Amino acid sequence: MKVQENLRDIARKLLVNKEATLVIGYAPGSEVSRVIPAFIRKEEEVDHLIWNPLCVNNLAKYLLDYNQEPGKVAVVVKGCDSRAIVRLIQDNQIPREKIIILGIPCPGLLDPETVASRLNPNTQILSASLNEQAFSIQTEEGIFTFSRNESLLEKCRSCEHHTPVIADFMLGEEIPPANRVDPFEKVKKLEDLPVKDRSDYWDKQFQRCLRCYACRNVCPACTCRECVFDQAEPCWIAKANNLSENTAFHLIRAFHVAGRCVDCGECDRVCPVNIPLTLLNRKILKDIKDLFNVPTPGTNLNELPPLGSFTNSDPDEFM
Amino acid sequence: MNAYIITRDNLRTWIDALIRDYTLVAPVREEEKVSLFKPVGSFTEIDLNYTNSTISPKGWLFPQTEEMFFFFTSDNQINLEDACKPGTTILFGLRPCDVKGIIALDPVFNGTYQDCYYQMRRQNTILVCLCCTRVERHCFCNSMGGGPTNGEGADLLLTEMEDGYGIEVLTSRGEELVNKYHQLFAVDGDNRVSKTRDEMGKKLASQFSRKVDISGIKEFLDQHFELPYWNELAQRCLGCGICTFICPTCHCFDIFDQSPDGESGVRSRCWDSCMFSHFTRMAGGHNPRPTKKERIRNRFLHKLKYHRDRYNLDGCVGCGRCINKCPVNIDIRQIIADLQEVARYDQLPLS
Amino acid sequence: MTNCRSHNPLRPFPATIIKIIDETPDVKTFQMVFDDPEVMENFKQKPGQVAQISVFGVGEATISITSSPTRKGLLEFSVKKVGMLTSALHRLEPGCKVGIRGPYGNHFPYEKMKGKDLLFIGGGIGLAPLRALIDFVLAEENRKDYGNIEIIYGARSVDDLCFKYDILERWPQMPGTKVYTTIDRAEQGWEGHVGFVPAYLEEINPTPKNKYAITCGPPIMIKFVLQALEKMGFSDDQVITTLEMKMKCGIGKCGRCNIGSKYVCLDGPVFYLSQLKQLPPEF
Ligand SMILES: Cc1cc2nc3c(=O)[nH]c(=O)nc-3n(C[C@H](O)[C@H](O)[C@H](O)COP(=O)(O)OP(=O)(O)OC[C@H]3O[C@@H](n4cnc5c(N)ncnc54)[C@H](O)[C@@H]3O)c2cc1C
Ligand code: SF4
Ligand code: SF4
Ligand code: SF4
Ligand code: SF4
Ligand code: FES
Repeated sequence: MKVQENLRDIARKLLVNKEATLVIGYAPGSEVSRVIPAFIRKEEEVDHLIWNPLCVNNLAKYLLDYNQEPGKVAVVVKGCDSRAIVRLIQDNQIPREKIIILGIPCPGLLDPETVASRLNPNTQILSASLNEQAFSIQTEEGIFTFSRNESLLEKCRSCEHHTPVIADFMLGEEIPPANRVDPFEKVKKLEDLPVKDRSDYWDKQFQRCLRCYACRNVCPACTCRECVFDQAEPCWIAKANNLSENTAFHLIRAFHVAGRCVDCGECDRVCPVNIPLTLLNRKILKDIKDLFNVPTPGTNLNELPPLGSFTNSDPDEFM
Repeated sequence: MNAYIITRDNLRTWIDALIRDYTLVAPVREEEKVSLFKPVGSFTEIDLNYTNSTISPKGWLFPQTEEMFFFFTSDNQINLEDACKPGTTILFGLRPCDVKGIIALDPVFNGTYQDCYYQMRRQNTILVCLCCTRVERHCFCNSMGGGPTNGEGADLLLTEMEDGYGIEVLTSRGEELVNKYHQLFAVDGDNRVSKTRDEMGKKLASQFSRKVDISGIKEFLDQHFELPYWNELAQRCLGCGICTFICPTCHCFDIFDQSPDGESGVRSRCWDSCMFSHFTRMAGGHNPRPTKKERIRNRFLHKLKYHRDRYNLDGCVGCGRCINKCPVNIDIRQIIADLQEVARYDQLPLS
Repeated sequence: MTNCRSHNPLRPFPATIIKIIDETPDVKTFQMVFDDPEVMENFKQKPGQVAQISVFGVGEATISITSSPTRKGLLEFSVKKVGMLTSALHRLEPGCKVGIRGPYGNHFPYEKMKGKDLLFIGGGIGLAPLRALIDFVLAEENRKDYGNIEIIYGARSVDDLCFKYDILERWPQMPGTKVYTTIDRAEQGWEGHVGFVPAYLEEINPTPKNKYAITCGPPIMIKFVLQALEKMGFSDDQVITTLEMKMKCGIGKCGRCNIGSKYVCLDGPVFYLSQLKQLPPEF
C-alpha cells in the first residue's frame, strides 16, 4: 500500500500548493470488486484516493473534459494508460504542460469477476499485495489470496509496459516486463482459420452489438469533435441495428483507431455484450507492426503514428 | 387458479411441442458471459439455469430496430404498407423482474394513442415466467416491489422442484398452453407448487446483497431538481447507451427513414438513449440537456420519479443490469442510498 | 387482434402540397390537403395544435398548424429551413406528396379567452402558431366572443417578416384590431417602428385589464417579453406561451420531449406562465 500512501501525499501537496486544481484517480466503488474514477479538488477528499489491483479504468480520456480548467490537472495512470496520455498529447488533445502525470508501475490487475465471486460485495479492501504467485487481499473479513494464474486480468498477461512510459511522478518502483504472453496469440489462431470460419466468427460477434458506443466513448484514440457515427448528414451508417450496419460500424471504428490504438483494452472491457474488440484491434496492430516495424502506438512521445507519417522506407508493394 | 406439475422429461416434450406450434423465445447462452433471449429450435438450446439475461427481453415486444411501414411512390401517389405481422410468440423462462419490466412498459405504449406495434406484439405474446433459484449480487427486485418468486403479470409461473417443475396458471391464456398438452401435466392437488415457491421465496429473501430503501425518494425529488450530487455522478459517466439499452423499462426511440432511391423505402424506429448528447439537441444547436449532468439526472429522475408521476409505477424493477454493466460503476442502488443521505443531511456526509 | 391499419398513430396520411408561399428567404408557407377527402373532413385541429409532417425518405418534423380551424378544406404550415427535413420540404413544389399525422398537443384556451381582450406578441416564425388563434378569433363566427385584439410582431428585417400580407394588410383592416410591426434595425424604405419586440411592447405599454397575453418567438425574445409583461402587471395566469423541445413521435412514447414529467407533445406545447414556473428549468 506504499503506492497508495505516496499517491495521497503527492495529491495532497499538489492541491495544497495549488500546483493542480484537480486530481483524477480512483476511489472505492459501490461493491468490493469495483472502483470508480474520482475527481478530487479538496485536500479533505484526498484520502478517498486508492490504489489496488482492481483499478482498471483508463482515466486518460477524462482529461478532455478539463481542457478549459484554469489550473493543471493531475491524473493517475498505469503503464497501459500512460500510452493513452502520449496518444492524447500527440493528437494535440491536451497540452503537455497542462497535466501532471502520476505514474503507477502496475504489476497486473485482478479480474473483478473473480474477486466478486469470492468476497462479500459489501466489504472494503484494507490492503492488497502481490508476490510472484498470488495477489492477497485483506478485507474486514480476512485475507484472501488469488493465484496470479487464475485471476490475473487477461490484458495484463501480455502487458508490454508495467511501468508508465511517461510520468511526472513515479509512485513506485519500476517493474520490468516479465513472462509475457504473446499478445498476438489469439490473433494468430484466428488468422489460421479458413475465411468462411473467420467471417462466421465475426458475424456472430457483430450481430449482437448494441451500438451503445461505449467502446467509442471510452477510447482515448476516439477524439473527434463530431463522430461520424453521430452525423445525420451525410449518414455514414444507418441507425438500424442489423448485421450489415453493425459490421460497417465495427470496421470503421477499427480503421479509425488503426495505428493510434494504444492497446489499453478499455473498449473490450466496457462492451456490455463481450465483443472481443481487443482481437480486432490487435489484428490491425499486428499488421502495422509487421509492415512498419514500429512500437505500440503511444510508447514514445517522439515517434509519430505510422499511418500518420511517411518515410522512404515505408513498404509500397501496392503501388 | 390451477397448478400442475411436470416432470423434467415431460418439460422437454412440452417445450419441443411449443417450439413446433409457436415461436418460442427463450434464454440462450450465447457466449460464456453473454445470455440472450432468442428464438430456439429445440429444447437443448435453452439455458434455464441463467440468472439474468445480458440484455432484457423487452426487445421481443419493442425491438431495437423495428420497421414500421414501407412507402412506395407510383404515378405521383404515395402508398403505405404496414410492416408488422407477428405470429404468436411465447417468451419462455422470463425472470420475475423482466415480467415486471413489461408491466412497466405497457402503459407507455397504451393510453390515448395506442402504439399498435407494441400492442400487436404484446397481445400475441404469452409470458412464461420462471422463478429464480438464486440471487445475483446486483439483484434488488425485492426492494422495488417485486421478488424472485413473484410472477405477477405473467401468464404462467414455473417453479423448479425436486422432481420437475411446478406450473401455476395465472391467466386463461396460460391455461390454454397447458390444456393443449394436458397429458404431460399432473394436477397439483395438495398445493405442493405454491408451498415450494413460498419456501424458495423465503430462502432467497436473505440472499440479497443489498436492501434498498426507496421510501420518500420520489417525494424528495419532487422538491429537489437541482442537486450538486448530479454533477458529481456525471463527472465519471461516459454518456454511452449501455444502461438504457439493457434496461427492461427504458423505452426511448428514434424514428428514421431509409430510401435508396427517394421513391420507395421504409420508416423504422430504433432504441435511442437519453444519455446520448444529441438525443435532445434541436435544429440550430440548442440543447435543453446540454451536459452529462442534465442527462444523467434525467435518466434517474425518469426511473425514480417521472415514471411514477405518469403511470404510477416505478421506472426501475431492480433487475441490476445497469449496475452490472456500467463501466464506471454508476449503481442505482448507491444513488438511492446517496439520495437518502442527501435528503437527511442535505448533503453527502463524506463530501 | 389489434390491427395496425385501423388505428396506427405513427402512420401518416398521404397529402398533397397545393400552394407554396415564399414568406422570407428561409420561411415558406405550405398549403396542403389530404389525398383522402374523408381524412380531410375528420381532421379537426384546435388553434395551437401541431402536426408531424413527413417527407418520405427523409423523415418527419413537428410543425404548428398555422391556419385557423375555421378555414376548412386545407391546412397551412409555415416552415423555416433549419435542417434536413425542413430543407427537403423547401425543395418540394406544388403537387408534391407529403404525409401528415396529428393533430397533436394541447391548444390555446380559446374558450376561457371568451369575453377578453387579447394581446399577441410574436417574433419571427413564432407568429405561426399565434396566427391560427388570431384567425380563429377574427373569423366571422367567433369575432363577437372576443374583445379587442392587439398584435405586436417583429423580425430582424423587412425581408424576415413572415405573413406580410396578414400583418401589413389583412389584420389592420379587421374591426377592433391593432397591429404593431417592428424590425430590429433601420432599413431603407421601412417607415414603421424600429427596435426589438420587448422594447416596443414596453413602449406600447398595454394594460393587463381583462386581457390575455399570448407570446411565441425566439427564446431570448420570450424571456424579455415575459419580464416586460410582469412589470406591466400581467399575472402568471394571464400570460400564455408555447414551448419547443425536440420531438419524434409526437404522442408521448419516444420519451424525448419531456420537461420533468411533462411531455411537451402531449401536455404542451401551450403553457400558462404559471405552469411554466412549476416546470424544472430544462427547456
Ligand atoms: C411544438 C412545436 C412547434 C413547432 N412549430 C414549427 C413551425 O410552425 N414552423 C417551423 O418552421 N418549425 C416549427 N418547429 C420546429 C421544427 O420542429 C424544427 O425546426 C424541425 O423539426 C427541424 O427539423 P429538421 O429535420 O429540418 O432539422 P434537423 O436538425 O435535421 O433535425 C432532425 C430531427 O430532429 C427533430 N428536431 C430537431 N429540431 C427540432 C425542434 N426544434 N423541435 C422539434 N423537433 C426537432 C425532428 O424530428 C427532426 O426531423 C416546432 C417545434 C415544436 C416542438
Ligand atoms: S461497446 Fe460493445 S455493444 Fe457497445 S457499440 Fe461497442 S461493440 Fe457494440
Ligand atoms: S481502441 Fe480500445 S484498446 Fe485501443 S485505445 Fe481505444 S479503447 Fe484502448
Ligand atoms: S451511467 Fe454508465 S452505462 Fe449509463 S451512460 Fe453513464 S457510463 Fe454508460
Ligand atoms: S434502471 Fe437498472 S436496475 Fe433498474 S430496471 Fe433498469 S437496468 Fe434494471
Ligand atoms: S415527441 Fe415522443 S414523447 Fe414527445
